Amino acid sequence: MQRILYLVQKEFRQIFRDRSMIAALFFVPFIQLVILGNAITTDVTNLDLIVTDLDRTPMSRTFIERFTTTEYFNLVEVEEDYQALRGHLDNGRAKLAIVIPKHFQRDIVTGRHPDVQALVDGIDGNSAGVALGYMARIAEQHQAQIIRMDPMLGRPLREARIVHAEPRYWFNPELESEVYIIPGIVALILLIITVFLTSMGIVREKEIGTLEQLLVTPIRSMQLILGKVIPFSILGFVEIVVAMGFIYVIFGIGVEGSLWLLFGESAIFILTTLGVGIFISTISETQQQALFVGWFFMIFAILLSGFFIPIANMPDVIQYLTYFNPLRYFMVILREIYLKGTPLHYLLPETLAMAGFGVAVFSAAVMRYRRIIK
Amino acid sequence: MQNDFAHEVANQRQTDPDLAVSARELTKRFGRFTAVDGISFDVRRGEIFGFLGANGAGKTTAIRMFCGLLPPTAGEAQVAGYDVRTQPRMIKQTIGYMSQKFSLYEDLTVAQNIEFYGGIYGLTRPQIEHKTGLLLDELNLRDRRDTLTQSLPLGWKQRLALSVSLLHDPSIIFLDEPTGGVDPISRRNFWRIIYEIADSGKTVFVTTHYMDEAEYCGRLSIMYQGRIIEIGTPGGLKEKYGLDTMQDIFVHLVGGDTRKEAKQ
Amino acid sequence: MRRRLMAIIRKEFIHIFRDWRTLLIIILMPILMIVLYGYAITLDMRNIVFGVIDDARTPDSRALVDAFAENGFFRTLPRDVRRNEMESLFMRRDVHMVLVIPEDFSADLTQNRSAVVQLIIDASDSNVGTFVGNYAEQVLGIYNQRMNHAVPALFEIAPRIFYNPDMNSTNFFVPGLVALILMLISALLTSIAITREKETGTMEQILVSPVHAREIVLGKVLPYVLLGLVNAALILLSAWILFDVPVRGSLALLGLLSLVYVFVALSFGLMISTVARTQLIAMFGTLMATILPTIMLSGFIFPIASMPELLRWIANVLPATYFLIIIRAIMLKGVGSAELWPQALILSGIGTLLLTAATRRFRMRLE
Repeated sequence: MQRILYLVQKEFRQIFRDRSMIAALFFVPFIQLVILGNAITTDVTNLDLIVTDLDRTPMSRTFIERFTTTEYFNLVEVEEDYQALRGHLDNGRAKLAIVIPKHFQRDIVTGRHPDVQALVDGIDGNSAGVALGYMARIAEQHQAQIIRMDPMLGRPLREARIVHAEPRYWFNPELESEVYIIPGIVALILLIITVFLTSMGIVREKEIGTLEQLLVTPIRSMQLILGKVIPFSILGFVEIVVAMGFIYVIFGIGVEGSLWLLFGESAIFILTTLGVGIFISTISETQQQALFVGWFFMIFAILLSGFFIPIANMPDVIQYLTYFNPLRYFMVILREIYLKGTPLHYLLPETLAMAGFGVAVFSAAVMRYRRIIK
Repeated sequence: MQNDFAHEVANQRQTDPDLAVSARELTKRFGRFTAVDGISFDVRRGEIFGFLGANGAGKTTAIRMFCGLLPPTAGEAQVAGYDVRTQPRMIKQTIGYMSQKFSLYEDLTVAQNIEFYGGIYGLTRPQIEHKTGLLLDELNLRDRRDTLTQSLPLGWKQRLALSVSLLHDPSIIFLDEPTGGVDPISRRNFWRIIYEIADSGKTVFVTTHYMDEAEYCGRLSIMYQGRIIEIGTPGGLKEKYGLDTMQDIFVHLVGGDTRKEAKQ
Repeated sequence: MRRRLMAIIRKEFIHIFRDWRTLLIIILMPILMIVLYGYAITLDMRNIVFGVIDDARTPDSRALVDAFAENGFFRTLPRDVRRNEMESLFMRRDVHMVLVIPEDFSADLTQNRSAVVQLIIDASDSNVGTFVGNYAEQVLGIYNQRMNHAVPALFEIAPRIFYNPDMNSTNFFVPGLVALILMLISALLTSIAITREKETGTMEQILVSPVHAREIVLGKVLPYVLLGLVNAALILLSAWILFDVPVRGSLALLGLLSLVYVFVALSFGLMISTVARTQLIAMFGTLMATILPTIMLSGFIFPIASMPELLRWIANVLPATYFLIIIRAIMLKGVGSAELWPQALILSGIGTLLLTAATRRFRMRLE
């Protein structure tokens, strides 16, 4: 027991000796929160737009005005020459262009249903799709306005029986993406910090030769592992608390549910990440290898966790794959506790799955580690 | 059958309190490569015993087996009366070890390194404090107590590493190429300490490829391709081969091919 | 000069090839990512489970529920939902949405020609919430059309999608992946490789030999340039084979500008290695300074235009931002230097600045 304490003390001394390490530990989550919290947004705004108005009537002008007054579009130019539009898309000046045809107003009034052309840069399919949705909505609004001004035009439309929807968005009424993304970042920070600290910390001793010195002492391999694992889990918890503090101060997002439940679930999750860290250290000779194996693991864990791509959006095969990803469960658990205040009994399946992974990964890693250093 | 016989021999020897290290047909193979090939010898308590050989002769593998870091493939070995196969933990408590790789934490201070290794060997706090004081005085490092180990000159680092490996008062100390990369003066100082250690009744087991160091050993064995090809006192060997220096003996035994690796 | 340089390069290659695990990961990771992203990211959700509270119980209301159920996006919970169990349904994540049809639904429709239904949506994931809301609106639109026998709108919007007509996310993602991998390998591997020599003490050994700082830097960096470019080529090749992602523009131009970008990334790595003492620090430093911004802020996944102003400023000084514009334009738009010279110029500018600063700092640290 005393030996473990000395190991823990040594580990903390090494960490706090290095000022840049402390900066990394506390600055990284801060930056991650600010950047990820703000950058990951499914809203699409400020799309660069070019307009060609071949009609130049009140009806076409009011239509264009609708585009310029929303935050969705950003009018960069009014182009006279229809032929030049493609060039603007080519050099990236605009993401989309709208062409209002000649006789737009006349054709509407005479019931000829004119087409407004929209040229869209489809490279970013997501943004393009959203932009098309915005345009459809704007067209609808414009039509409603025309009908209001000239009821004759809209008679067939007005006679229709229409069912309207009144959507209520629970748990996140403003549909702010950061409310959902940010609790997920807590999981990412915990994952990154504990996996890298553990794997690289162990491999580092191998690399500089102190591990061999430790192995000729009467220390037991289990003590050696605990001496690494204890300080890093403590740091992991400090990270969680710091990150949660940042989240509350910067974004004003608090924990809806039980704080103790959140900590308990985090402890179960840390078991997995420490296990992964130890496992990586057993297959790596150098820190560089550990680093790359760690990245490899993490990129896929994050991708398949539902962090920014909803799991429901994935094909079935890949959805099954996500069941083998412990981060997936922790992501759900964190968000549920954070946003809905969901109690433990509704989170039991996820908790059990995560605990199962944790125990399995951790004990397999420890067993492998003990075999390796023998 | 062979094993039974070896055990018998081992049990007999275990009663001999005068033996610090003994090996019988000790062998280590890695796959098809035989690193140590059936070496047998005894080291008595208080001896300075040297392992001389070129790089890759099997010295380090042998020493790692004695320290309980590597299980032998075949053969037997006892260290301080404990079997390397079955009692590695007992061995580790009674030996000190310092390797060719510098083994202190460079990002901890001198005192913190001493404290850490003291704690690992199970010393109590007062013992650690007492030892730290003694050690710093002995090495003349009192005013460097709180400097980072990385800023010490290499010679001092090595003396510090040696002192740290003696913290728990081991009866046998293994030194694996302890003076690698150090200038001749520091090396001579280092050997002065080794003599002091031996005088206090401890056994020193040292590997080296420096010929001048070989001369300092009480007794030494010359290793070549995993085997011990000669064993004896430096004086005895010189007499036997009628040569003046260890360098000449080494070249005579091993041939010219490893001369460039065995430095003056 | 050349012989010493070659010696360092050779040594670095030996490091790279001896460490086959890292090499394997470097080569496998991007290809696996392409496969996963190519198949994993589809923008339509399927099987959105919804519950129904139907207080009207008329043929009209049943027809509405059917309109949802027969659409590919939605699936009904096989039983009716009680009002007081809605919250627990959401907490158990059994449903994404509850459709509430009021008692006077049919009466409203016939008398007022309009009725309102409530859609209660779990929006804890705003993204999913938006999707569900939009799909529900679409279903309602179809329902309304059906009930009213298709009344045409006054005018229509006729979209023409360029460059990526199917709005395929793989086409969007692959060029970004090249930018990311080049940055990852160049910056991370360089900073780690140099810091490693410092940490294990071999840097001192090299420094006492008569090599120039310039040679050390070049010798360390060139192998990784090569590795990065080989990797980029592999990504493009596998994306082309697996998903038909094209390179419509000039390969030579793409190669040249990739080289410029790689030098920028290497300079970043070099810069970090002059500050970091341990590999762990170098890793975190590179993560913060290059990888994270490259993934999050360069337009790799999330459009820059939608970000807050401060982040847009940061995006404007990121090399990856410009390289992404370049590589997407060359690959998908098939345009050339006539359109891309401004980005190329800015990229080279950032590169020159960084490389000068990094080598100067590196030399300073050595002396």
